[in-house]
Amino acid sequence: MSLRMRGARTGQRLMGCLVAVLAVLYLALPAAAEPKIKIGVIFDLTGPLAGGGSELHHLGVKIMIDRFIKQGGVEGYQIEAIYADAQSKPDVAINEAVRLIEQEKVDMVLGFFSSAQCVPVAARVEQLKKFMWITTCISSAVLENRNLKYVFRPQPSGAQFGELSMDFIAQNAKEKFGKDPKDLRVAIIHEDGAYGVDVARGNESGAKKAGFNVVLKEGYSATAPDLSALITKLKRARPDVIFHTGYNPDITLFHRQARENGLKFSALIGQGAGYGVYAKLKEGLGKDVNYLFDVDPISIWNTNKQVLNPKLPPLIDMVGEEYQKAKPETTIRSAHVGMAASNTYVFFTEVLPRAIKKYGGIDADALRKAALDVDLPEGGTMLGFGVKFAGEDTPVAGQNLRAFPVITQYIDDNSYVVWPKSQAQREAVLPLPAGTTYSPK
Amino acid sequence: MNFAFFEVFDVYLLEAVVNGILLGGVLALMALGLNLIFGVIDVVWICYAELIMIGMYGLYYAYAVYALPMWIAAPMCIALVAVLGLLLHYIVIRPLLDAAPINQLLATGGVLFFLQSFATVAFGIDFRNLGIRLPVLAIGEMHFSYARLLAFLAAVAGMVTIYLFMTRTYIGTAIRAIAQDRQIMVLMGVDSRRLYLVTSALGGALAGLAACLLVLQYDVHPFVGLSFGPITFMIVVLGGLGNFIGGFVASFVFAEIISLGGLYSDLEWGYVLAFAFFILMMFARPQGLLTRRS
Repeated sequence: MSLRMRGARTGQRLMGCLVAVLAVLYLALPAAAEPKIKIGVIFDLTGPLAGGGSELHHLGVKIMIDRFIKQGGVEGYQIEAIYADAQSKPDVAINEAVRLIEQEKVDMVLGFFSSAQCVPVAARVEQLKKFMWITTCISSAVLENRNLKYVFRPQPSGAQFGELSMDFIAQNAKEKFGKDPKDLRVAIIHEDGAYGVDVARGNESGAKKAGFNVVLKEGYSATAPDLSALITKLKRARPDVIFHTGYNPDITLFHRQARENGLKFSALIGQGAGYGVYAKLKEGLGKDVNYLFDVDPISIWNTNKQVLNPKLPPLIDMVGEEYQKAKPETTIRSAHVGMAASNTYVFFTEVLPRAIKKYGGIDADALRKAALDVDLPEGGTMLGFGVKFAGEDTPVAGQNLRAFPVITQYIDDNSYVVWPKSQAQREAVLPLPAGTTYSPK
Repeated sequence: MNFAFFEVFDVYLLEAVVNGILLGGVLALMALGLNLIFGVIDVVWICYAELIMIGMYGLYYAYAVYALPMWIAAPMCIALVAVLGLLLHYIVIRPLLDAAPINQLLATGGVLFFLQSFATVAFGIDFRNLGIRLPVLAIGEMHFSYARLLAFLAAVAGMVTIYLFMTRTYIGTAIRAIAQDRQIMVLMGVDSRRLYLVTSALGGALAGLAACLLVLQYDVHPFVGLSFGPITFMIVVLGGLGNFIGGFVASFVFAEIISLGGLYSDLEWGYVLAFAFFILMMFARPQGLLTRRS
């Protein structure tokens, strides 16, 4: 074989290799160049908090993330979600957040059901200079006086829950109970974690404002095996209205022991978490669930669609359909699922696209600036409220100042918004009708 | 006239005392099986509360899902947990009988996490409820739960039955003998393996009985054991590990401190006082409230 032929063959081989390398690069390039946002989603999928509402929030977030993945991402960015289980333990929540950030290299974290987890996780995520979007936990302690730069919460705060429920009773004291607020005996009981303590603080300040006679205020551990001493004290204190903040199963334990120990009251206002899961309340309390109240952001299926942004109602329907597909046994759709879905939707439609387009990317600073720019009026979210975050150097930096909860009452297997009046679907049944289990008459 | 004395001893105090006794019954019921196992086999089943949890699920499925009548569902549940007790001994404890106590403790601790995870995967994270509303016993201003009265009576009956079984039957005498000296009894021809199996089944059956009564008062979920496990263990230690009567007495002492402490201060303080009492007694009487007779 001549040298020329050998040279030509070598040249052909080299050319072949070059074409192959280019082909591989060509195939690889689009994937490598395609931008992606990795989101770490943390909820409690095991442990007592899972059944207490956390798993429903996980479902709401997942429904919304899947929707955006299906539509091909946001502003050219693909979405990848990595789901983690906090196991109902604050230490696990912190470890999972750090693992997702440091090992999985997520760009941000999202979720969090328990305030006891939110408080330490927010500090750790801030330290790592990552963006945190809180869809659920409500304790004021997460944000208040901490001046966090990268932590944002579209949810109302726990103190708002407590104040709203007191205002509801104060406005109805004379008409429904026939008493001046100063003569109305109220009791505040709560689980003793960050969530319960914060809502109770709101209750206390609301009671002071209304001039109620607070006859008992007490915390207890959500895992306490016995609440009968608390119930005996309530019997002795004879409150007209009880304001209760708890998870589950402490809520069902409280009601069961209250019935067995003959506790009577004229109204009980439950404040979020376990009180938002009607199916479980019904299973645990039977007919005694009738006329209980729950304070929470409005269920998206109860919002007045006339005042919502017109693009939101079809999304509410979509969330409802996916919810039913995931949990076909559902009778009353829990507000929890809609809450998480709505808060996630705000991130994907208001924060992420703005960060990409206006601030050039998805790093924590771009996301922070985009979040601070959000300015949605009332009716701008599925939950009815608007979104405007408190800026840095304010006492509640990162808190949505336009969020508000509502009060829902469970009546004959339906839930109705009864307060504030602007959102009310019907008048509240107050006090408990005579002949019901806890009614004094 | 000063009525302060009568104000302190009001009807609510009496109610709290009785509620304390009833809670003591619940705790005593749980402590009984744990004590039996330790007294005879010298092993602490840290996973005892999780066996109760499995029993609660068993009863829930038999009664609420498969609609079996309670008189069939309850014995089935007791038998199920008795078999679990047998399996626990056969698979986990027996190979470790001569191992260091810490190894035995860690092994049953592993079973605890296994059972929690198993329940999460098999039954889900939802809270389950039997949906039974037992009537309430009302005496004037005081109201008491029938479910707790049942648990209390079962604890007393269980205690008496175990006592009679241990003192009046041949196998009970053999169990007591082997509890006193494992090595000698084997040399005298006693089949210790069989006795351990009987004891494990009995301990499991007591957990099953506790499950049947607890499911009337509490929702079932994979982590329900967290509410009882640590307290039960403390009571057993307080009473003197392996001492039935000590455990029985300790249950009521503990429950009364929780109940009365909770009445006169915050509920949380009731538990703080009970735990402080436990720590104090560990210094004053490390062998337990009533010394173990061995």
